[in-house]
Amino acid sequence: MYCQGLHGSLVSHANPDNRRENRMRWFDYLLRRLIMAVFVLISVSVITFFIARVIPSDPAAAWVGSHPTQELIAKARLQLGLDRPLWVQYLRFMGDLLRGNFGVSVRTHQPILNDTKAYLPATLELVVVAMIIAVIIGIPLGVLSGARKGSWLDHSTRLIAIAGVSLPIFFLGLLLQLTFFGKLGLLPLGSRISNDIALNHPIHVQTGFYLVDSLITGNWAAFRDASVHIILPAFALAIFDIGLTICMTRSSMVEVLNEKYILAARASGISERAVLFVLALKNAIIPTITVIGLSFVYSLTGAILVEVIFSWPGLGSYVTNAVLSIDFPVIVSVTLVVTVFYVIINLILDLVQAALDPRITLN
Amino acid sequence: MKTSRRTFSILLLFVITSLITSNCASATPQVATTAPQQPTVQAAAPTQAAALTEVVAQPTTAPAAQATSAEVDPKSVFVYAHPTAFPDLDPAKSYSNDSVVTSNCYETLTFYNPPGSKDILSPKLASSWESNSDATEWTFHLRPGVTFQDGTPFNSEAVKYSVAKTKELGVGAAYIWDSVNEMATPDENTIVFKLGYPAPLDLIASSGYAAWMYSPTAYEKNGSDWFNQGNCAGTGPYSIQSYERGSRLVMTRNEKYWGGWKPGQFTKIVFEISQDPVVLQQKIESGTADFTYEIPADNIATIQKNHPEIVVYNNPSFQNLVGLLNTKKPPLDNVKVRQALEYSFPYQQFLEGVMGNRATQSRGAVPVGMWGHGDNLTQYTYDLEKAKQLLTEAGHPGGGFDLLMTYSTGDLDEQQLGELWKAELAKLGINLEVRGMNWEAQWDLGKSDPSKAQDIFVQYWWPDYISPYSFLKSMFHSETPTPFNLGYYNNPTYDQMIDKANEIAGTDRPKSAQMFIDAQQILLDDSVSLFFYDRANQHLALSSVKGFMDNPAYPHVVFVYDLTRG
Repeated sequence: MYCQGLHGSLVSHANPDNRRENRMRWFDYLLRRLIMAVFVLISVSVITFFIARVIPSDPAAAWVGSHPTQELIAKARLQLGLDRPLWVQYLRFMGDLLRGNFGVSVRTHQPILNDTKAYLPATLELVVVAMIIAVIIGIPLGVLSGARKGSWLDHSTRLIAIAGVSLPIFFLGLLLQLTFFGKLGLLPLGSRISNDIALNHPIHVQTGFYLVDSLITGNWAAFRDASVHIILPAFALAIFDIGLTICMTRSSMVEVLNEKYILAARASGISERAVLFVLALKNAIIPTITVIGLSFVYSLTGAILVEVIFSWPGLGSYVTNAVLSIDFPVIVSVTLVVTVFYVIINLILDLVQAALDPRITLN
Repeated sequence: MKTSRRTFSILLLFVITSLITSNCASATPQVATTAPQQPTVQAAAPTQAAALTEVVAQPTTAPAAQATSAEVDPKSVFVYAHPTAFPDLDPAKSYSNDSVVTSNCYETLTFYNPPGSKDILSPKLASSWESNSDATEWTFHLRPGVTFQDGTPFNSEAVKYSVAKTKELGVGAAYIWDSVNEMATPDENTIVFKLGYPAPLDLIASSGYAAWMYSPTAYEKNGSDWFNQGNCAGTGPYSIQSYERGSRLVMTRNEKYWGGWKPGQFTKIVFEISQDPVVLQQKIESGTADFTYEIPADNIATIQKNHPEIVVYNNPSFQNLVGLLNTKKPPLDNVKVRQALEYSFPYQQFLEGVMGNRATQSRGAVPVGMWGHGDNLTQYTYDLEKAKQLLTEAGHPGGGFDLLMTYSTGDLDEQQLGELWKAELAKLGINLEVRGMNWEAQWDLGKSDPSKAQDIFVQYWWPDYISPYSFLKSMFHSETPTPFNLGYYNNPTYDQMIDKANEIAGTDRPKSAQMFIDAQQILLDDSVSLFFYDRANQHLALSSVKGFMDNPAYPHVVFVYDLTRG
């Protein structure tokens, strides 16, 4: 009765032909999206590469440093291949990229792949924890707010939601630091781990996710320390998503709770909790999932303020420094990495939505 | 089934909460003792002690959970809260703030002493040196018995390799070795540099960039990336223990350091990176950091008032701000108009109102404290009447022309300088456009046709090795092409004078210094630039840290080997 599969796929367990047909449709859909993804990546690479090169800058001068001589600049221009036509440079860049070579930063002279490997896990860890916080807090509050429309709970929750989406993140970050570090002395000021751990119980880095690495190596002191350090930045990053999640979930819930099948469920004696969190939420959560997914990708480079305030060595700070110094290989490479994430997350979102709502087709 | 799943969830939640809470509890005393109100210096020591009670020595590669029992005295850990990441830790290419790290691992042949010292240079890895009469051949006698941290002996071949490799890579300040044509190694402890033209190689060898000596074995075996993964191979007192890129770098003692160790010296250095000045301030105020800089100037007075345990070091840097005047474009091709501009800027008002203690008015092109600085050089003052008179003499009574000043976007000091100057020039009937541009665009405009370029090019300058020639050649020499002579000044007499001064800088430094001073007077008489201010460095340190000596030749560097905790 409550089974809501993909355009009839999950309700058609009994029909093997339909199942096969649906599998083919999934496969076709995936194939089409992957082909589209390749085009998206190529388009983004072309646009980013050429825009980055149109901006007045001299990568050769940046490469040799702040007081370059003409001879050094000329030498660097040859070394970096900047003497060749732009389209040749682009093809060379893409060729390197396909071979796993992201190029070298003209500012730091470091392989961009090494930098990305160092900075991406820190950001991913922060964003994932922030999203978990947003979901855990935002969805239940949104459901209850929608279910008790007009009540004090609804008003309070909406106030939290509005505050969440409107509070500037830099202000919130400073406020959290002043309160939890400065006044209460409960949580650390920033960084991923404390000096004590760095000196005494260093994390044996395997994945770059400190919470995971400390757990799998049984380094409990480091796990506790990393957990404590991530609370404030993750909460600061999550607060916007909490507000957004509450708003989206609430409005969807209000709409869904007026549906006849909810009335029927209530009339048949199903508990209110099951009605809200199983029946209604299943339909109401689709817009929320979309928003959370997109917010996740945005946060990969958009978490810059949180990263700066909490001394979090992530991708946002890295990209911002690259943009400020017009480090075009970094700008292009990281844009492509984020685009890949965007394409993947978008694809997953589409599939999840289709799986949750039979009205959404894969056509 | 449902019940057991719920029970498991509750248990899991309980375990995680307990783990986190237990850490919160242990963190509390640390923070409590580091609360901002620490009345005395003595309070700082227990603060660090509490913060680092669990510290024990452990190699980086040791499995995470296996802490050894050899405890490090928490007082012997020096924490430097640093405002930027370290872009490149390769000693051959490093050309940025990473010198705060490299200078504790690598050493140079000679060392540039802080201003006020008896001698300009001290021996470092070279115990003595001499040159021929025209400074085209330099012989350095190396300190015997020194080894790199990887065990490779430090000798003349190692010096030859370091210089040759740095030159070959050609990145950063590598050009400082341009004069070197050949290197001979007559014996293990002697290296002879043969130059293509006279140059002060003793000064060049003291540079904080591109002059580090590093292990040939390590460089050949591991390559550049190895250094940026958190490794170093110098002869210095500390080596890198661990490195979290963009976050933290830990250094530990090189027990075999040739200088030896005395009681009280620090055993570890921790560089904590934070780009937020507020965080840096909180770290030094709470005593969790021993040293920092880049604190907003407006907050310094409050810190000094509320935190007697913090010492503010306010010393000149070797960096100055200049406004190069376009000598090829009317009306600034007229020296009287340029002189009028010199008299139109409200130096004292700007320094007192905007810069506070962060700068002093320049006197010439070479900053105060550096050899070649002239205490008796002309210093222009704010005098609008004089400016009006000069404009009238130049045929521009009442002004009536427009000027374009470009500066680097994002620099608030330069922006405020422009706005203030604009208001003063308006009183003379001159319309100044203050245009912020990103550095690349500003530089491109400056390098374009002078007749279409800016009228005033505002930029900072600092030397790569400590010589007046860096300032006087880069910004005012007429050789072509001239990447930074963006006032397009062309005076053969001046060119010859500074070239000659540079030639004798290694053999007759007093005479060379005087010639550099005389050359600056030519610039001032020709009014080719406004020399706005010499910038000061403001460093904050806990007073419990003893022995810090600010050395502008190595900006923001703390030679931790020289420090102890009192």
